[in-house]
Amino acid sequence: MIAMQIPGDTWAHRLPAGLKLVAVAVASILLFQVSSFWTLLPCLAAVISLYASLGRQGLAQLKLLRGLSVLLACLLALHWLSGTLLEGFAIILRLIIMILAANFVSVTTRMDDMMAAVQPLFRPLEWLGISSRKPALGVTLVLRFTPYMLQVFSMLQEAYRARTGSSGSWRLLAPFAIQSLRMSDHVAEALKARGGSDGLTR
Amino acid sequence: MAFWPRKSKQNETRVCDPDAKPFAVFENVGLEIAERSVLTGLTLRLTEDRIGVIGLNGSGKSTFVRLLNGLRTPSSGELSLFGVPATLAEPELPRHVGFVFQNPDHQAIFPTVEEEIAFGLTQLGSDKDESRSRARAFLATHGCEALADRPISELSEGQKQLICILAVLVMEPRLLVLDEPMTSLDALATSRIRSMLMSLPQKIVLVSHDLSHFEGFDRIFWLEEGRLRMDGPPHEVLAAYRADLDIKLNNKLELVAL
Repeated sequence: MIAMQIPGDTWAHRLPAGLKLVAVAVASILLFQVSSFWTLLPCLAAVISLYASLGRQGLAQLKLLRGLSVLLACLLALHWLSGTLLEGFAIILRLIIMILAANFVSVTTRMDDMMAAVQPLFRPLEWLGISSRKPALGVTLVLRFTPYMLQVFSMLQEAYRARTGSSGSWRLLAPFAIQSLRMSDHVAEALKARGGSDGLTR
Repeated sequence: MAFWPRKSKQNETRVCDPDAKPFAVFENVGLEIAERSVLTGLTLRLTEDRIGVIGLNGSGKSTFVRLLNGLRTPSSGELSLFGVPATLAEPELPRHVGFVFQNPDHQAIFPTVEEEIAFGLTQLGSDKDESRSRARAFLATHGCEALADRPISELSEGQKQLICILAVLVMEPRLLVLDEPMTSLDALATSRIRSMLMSLPQKIVLVSHDLSHFEGFDRIFWLEEGRLRMDGPPHEVLAAYRADLDIKLNNKLELVAL
């Protein structure tokens, strides 16, 4: 499994979380303006060199693309069918650059820094009486539990294979959904036991 | 249960007395879940430092300990915690009662160890940087500073459970409730966590199926089908429980009854 965070104290870790998030947002907007390979390819090289600057653990993060390969191939196939293969390549290249850039920020930024950086965006919710901490905590929970859910899914797969000898991925969706709901119940209980999403100071 | 706990309207003035003796008083407490009676007629006063809860699966142990931190509320009878009725105490309970669950994977909320520890401190009102440095210092006093930056998902089961316990202890509760915390741990991890627990200044309520965990305890509750079957010093209750288990084992093993 790919680590969600690269531990350590590199130059990328030391940049403020807000700055990194703004940089990714600006880069994404700019990237939508270009479709020439002569611009996209250097951008790809640049984002890969960002990972390279973190050393071996950084480069290991590029494995992330393997998981996306099916999705990207489907996109490309759709473009090929509609006769816009070259455009398809450009779009996929752009997607890869954006995903890598966003992932770079998330693996070099601590969750609590990220929360603190994102929280002001949810301030307007407070006028409606909803704590701005909730959405930020929600994002944290998604990131924390994604690897665990993958593990749960592979456990279900193993259990299925042990009894049937075949893999039954789609058949496991219902039990997986039930497992996920049960897990969210447990997590909600644990969160409540430590004071809930609002904290203990209000 | 709702994903987000409902908003508590907490008064500025605290109502709980953390030093109340007894810290919990049950008067004929009963609890029903979905019209099924889970606990019936519990009358107890809890004062001891080390209290154990035993009983077979489905005897109501987990529900019983969840009454102590407000995760469950009684359907009948009177329950008071830290000197006030449980309903009044509820918003303050996470401050006074640390709760450790069976599965550490369901308890740890943050991706890395230090953040997980710091969360309890931000819950109590510290700002981010202060929480972080205090979390690091707290990990160091427990010899775990090497784990600070590690992702929780990569720790061993024993390390995960230890971090879950520390994440609760950092909030300095008066009472620590543990619901089968050693179930997924190997013998070594179990013994380390047990001796760490025994050295704590907190009062402890421990649910366990392994009767050897109750060495050095002051009092044991034996629950059976939601009722208090026996209550007393460990040597008496544990001996009676073992004897009862033997009888049940000698009767033809009825798998249906498991």
